[in-house]
Amino acid sequence: MRRANIYSGGFLALLGLAMILFVIPAQIEEGPAGMMSPRLVPQMIMGLMTALSVMLVVRNLMLPDDGEGSPVSRSEYIALLKIGSVFALALVLFYFAGPLWAGLAIVLGSLLALGERRPLVLVLMPIALLAGVWVLFYRVLGTAIL
Amino acid sequence: MQALIGGFAEVFTFSTMFWIVTGVTVGYILGVLPGLGKATGVAVSIPLTFYLHPVAAIAMLIGIAKGSTAGGAVSAILLNTPGEPSSAPTALDGYPLARQGKAGKALKMGLYASVIGDLLSTIVLIGLAAPLASYALLIGPVELCAILVFSLTFIGGLSGKSLIKGLIAGCLGIAFSTVGLEIETFIPRLTFGMLELDDGVKLVPMAIGMLAVAEMIVQAGNIRKLDAETAEIGKSNRREDRNLSLEDWKVCAMPIIRGTFIGTVIGILPGLGASVASFLSYGAARRAADRPEEFGTGRIEGVAAAESADNAVIPSSLVPLFALGIPGSVIAAILIAAFVLHGLTPGPLMFKENPTMVAAVYASMLCASLAMLVVGSLGQPIFARIARFPIRLIIPGVLLLCCVGAYMETSSLFSIYIMLIFALIGFFAKKFDYSFVTFLIGFVIGPQVELTFRQSLQLLNHDPTRLLQHPIAAVFIVITLVTLVLMARSRRNQPEAPGVATTKSLNQGGEI
Repeated sequence: MRRANIYSGGFLALLGLAMILFVIPAQIEEGPAGMMSPRLVPQMIMGLMTALSVMLVVRNLMLPDDGEGSPVSRSEYIALLKIGSVFALALVLFYFAGPLWAGLAIVLGSLLALGERRPLVLVLMPIALLAGVWVLFYRVLGTAIL
Repeated sequence: MQALIGGFAEVFTFSTMFWIVTGVTVGYILGVLPGLGKATGVAVSIPLTFYLHPVAAIAMLIGIAKGSTAGGAVSAILLNTPGEPSSAPTALDGYPLARQGKAGKALKMGLYASVIGDLLSTIVLIGLAAPLASYALLIGPVELCAILVFSLTFIGGLSGKSLIKGLIAGCLGIAFSTVGLEIETFIPRLTFGMLELDDGVKLVPMAIGMLAVAEMIVQAGNIRKLDAETAEIGKSNRREDRNLSLEDWKVCAMPIIRGTFIGTVIGILPGLGASVASFLSYGAARRAADRPEEFGTGRIEGVAAAESADNAVIPSSLVPLFALGIPGSVIAAILIAAFVLHGLTPGPLMFKENPTMVAAVYASMLCASLAMLVVGSLGQPIFARIARFPIRLIIPGVLLLCCVGAYMETSSLFSIYIMLIFALIGFFAKKFDYSFVTFLIGFVIGPQVELTFRQSLQLLNHDPTRLLQHPIAAVFIVITLVTLVLMARSRRNQPEAPGVATTKSLNQGGEI
């Protein structure tokens, strides 16, 4: 975890600095005279976060190398990529084809991405899940969600 | 008492009872499935309750939380893969019992211990929250600000392996809570010109993304390991291995009572969480046993001790929420969204402003405890089968429900984007051990922290020495500093705890 702490702490320290120096001044106006600035709490919190992140980096730099690799395994990165792609496809389908197709893409896409190849499951599961959602909202709860 | 009877009258309708039983059943199933915990279940289900009667909606969500805590024992006993870290001690003796062919006995004891722990803790909540709230009404903004900062520090220090990372997570949570129109000047903050952010970042899509979607991605990355564990379940048909004897009850009575006490006390303290309670209770049962060396080889009282404490935490963790408005656990933080949505703002004033609703919530919690007993007893054979369900068939359904839930919050794709952004943040937070629990609690109490901080500055006239006129606040500030020093020292001297074989040990994000 030592290396992960140094990298994540460094990233968060830079993020905090960027927020204090650039983002907060650009995104939050100074309040009217006589009132407390709307920037006060975001700047304080970001300052605290930056200080803590620097502490995290410094503390871990002083520790001996534990030889541990990345806390995220290769298979987890692949899963992130696969599920991210499924969501991206679903969003595109939502815009160009409609919500039903987006829902279908999420179920079928993630089934395929996770290694399911049985045709019966690939056909029945999307139908069952989408029908289940329809029954739950439109029949049981009596409301339209779209 | 009169109010509670009125509450029961409101709960004893077909509709409310139906949703309580549905909530407990859904919760049980979520608990049984390794990797799907109570927080995921409640976060995904909040939008489903939009159209329910307030009492039914809250009752259902509480049912899910309670059911999933009890359900976690099933996968712990059958698979040695607790759905939640708090069920890990259950697996220590539950799994050896299952391997000896006594899974039925272990499951039954797990269920009964869960119900007893949960029911007694609910009674403590009912008895304690209102009197505490009456004291809380005497607390001013300066005191409240100090208490909030103390709670967040305490939670940040305990919910992960690193104090600094816990505090960073809390800061990030508060930082995200500042997005939107500022409360005094109505100046937009960090909205990047997006009108959708004027109201701030919504809790429901954020919680769904961080808890559910991120969890599903982690599960998807470890799918082979989980499927292999699922395939190893054994089965026994012997009657004496399936039923509890009088001897079993005699042996387990004391561990259950002790576990309930430990769980209730730990639940009331913000930040400690169910894992601490179940491990403490298991350790206490082991120390009190005549042959402690046999623990870990299949002692039924190990299951009873762990499960009673685990389940006692949920109701009592609502004490600080109801009495002070401070969420002491991730479940309490998520439930705030549901309570507010359905017209009940948690905090000391709710006992004065909405006593009928509070009584109905209490009554529904008691009903949920009994529903847990019925659903657990009748459904155990089915839940045991569900535990064998491969995770690759569960993830698509959960992802679909996540999208539906997030979309319903604002009826726009913007919520889906929020969900996805926080899924990414949640994924890396889990893997890099930045407590997402502290993050979410920081986000929930952030506006209150800011408001009370501003009020405090005005009341103190920017002069810190005036804190001496607020002894309660001064005491909490001192306690916060002392806690920080003590935690930092103990972390430095303490070797990293060995991991328990739980699905959540795939994540580093901590659990409360």
